[in-house]
Amino acid sequence: MSTKVTYEEYELVAALRQKDDQAFSYLYDHYTAALHGVIKQIVGDAELANDVLQEAFVNIWRRIDTYDETKGRLFTWMLNIARNAAIDKTRSKGFQQSQRQLSITDGEMIQISVRPGIDDYGLKRMIHKLKDEQRLLIDLSYFQGYTHEQIATALHIPLGTVKTRIRSALTQLRALLS
Amino acid sequence: MNVKEYISSGVVESYVLGLLSEPEKQEFEAICAQYPEVLAARTAFELALEEQLMQDAIQPPSHLKQQVLERLSSPGQESKDVYEEDRAPVRRIGVWKWVAAASLLLLAGAAYLAFTANSRYENLRAENEGLRKQLNESSGQLAQLQSEVDALAKPGMKLASLKGTVIAPEAQVTIFWDTTSASKDVYLMVNNLPQPASDKQYQLWALLDGQPIDLGVFDTNLTQRRLMVKMKNVQNAQAFAITLEPKGGSVNPTLDSMYVMGSL
Repeated sequence: MSTKVTYEEYELVAALRQKDDQAFSYLYDHYTAALHGVIKQIVGDAELANDVLQEAFVNIWRRIDTYDETKGRLFTWMLNIARNAAIDKTRSKGFQQSQRQLSITDGEMIQISVRPGIDDYGLKRMIHKLKDEQRLLIDLSYFQGYTHEQIATALHIPLGTVKTRIRSALTQLRALLS
Repeated sequence: MNVKEYISSGVVESYVLGLLSEPEKQEFEAICAQYPEVLAARTAFELALEEQLMQDAIQPPSHLKQQVLERLSSPGQESKDVYEEDRAPVRRIGVWKWVAAASLLLLAGAAYLAFTANSRYENLRAENEGLRKQLNESSGQLAQLQSEVDALAKPGMKLASLKGTVIAPEAQVTIFWDTTSASKDVYLMVNNLPQPASDKQYQLWALLDGQPIDLGVFDTNLTQRRLMVKMKNVQNAQAFAITLEPKGGSVNPTLDSMYVMGSL
């Protein structure tokens, strides 16, 4: 990229829909680190995170036509694609076997320690400022992709309570962000 | 609808982070289209989140971009997985979860067994300790009795039976005097003596030509545990007597508190 092009978001989306390579290159350069960070926090492993990041960008490219700007910003849409790809990866058989030790010791349990390079930036760093219980709920729902029902069953908490507590944790997260 | 309450309920963040169920999502989108404040709140959170994640990011290795571009330009290597942004991931509780749960149960069971085994062991150990103490005590008492019986059985052992006086007609004490040994040991056996006041002690006297000789004080609780108590020795005596004296004994016997007396 010899010439540095910048886009307004609507311009970028329009160019991407035109399958403009330069726009995609910009999209990748601009957002890869942010998405990579979130993916890494979900899968933990650096190699796997790279695989998932590739998957995510391939899907962003292919599915740009389904992006609906009335439902949210481009970044939000990409973030959700990246998160879903990462969680799908953690559900795969290979992942579960290679990571099972990890998931027994600190996956389903409350993560007491902060893993360097994984938990000390971005959203994970933010949620470490929350109470243990709130952190656990956000970890299980956002980073591990469990449904509210599964969390309710696993923690023996009523479904309504799970929902209320997750939402209350999220409003605190918003306060931390702004 | 109370818009403020709705906005601060956490539903906005849940939507943006992809944590709403499909019906909840549709409801939120409808409300968002209807209420500009909700839309504004959504956009504000999206921007805050984006800003945070953009500045707090981790660069992947630089060769990755080339790989992505290559994949995009070679349709043969298409990914089978298509990740839709609007499909909430549902995580199955896989077999390893059950294995983990079973392991935890097993671990808990083992821990319980270990705990009960350990407390049983502790109990047995304490019991054993108690029995050993008891045995030591009994052995000591037995040895004591044995030596007393041996002393009694000595050929030259003389015996004086002290009878109760008027102040204690029921009292009775037996004195054994080993006259053959050089030391002339004196032993005392209480058959019956009233329990003295706590500030008093019984004192044994030998009587020779009308003169009392102090043979020492003794505690009745000691005489309860032993058959005999060894007193001070005396070379010559015609009779023995016991008086009740202030604790520690007296130089001269208090004659009006004489409890028993008897001659050889």
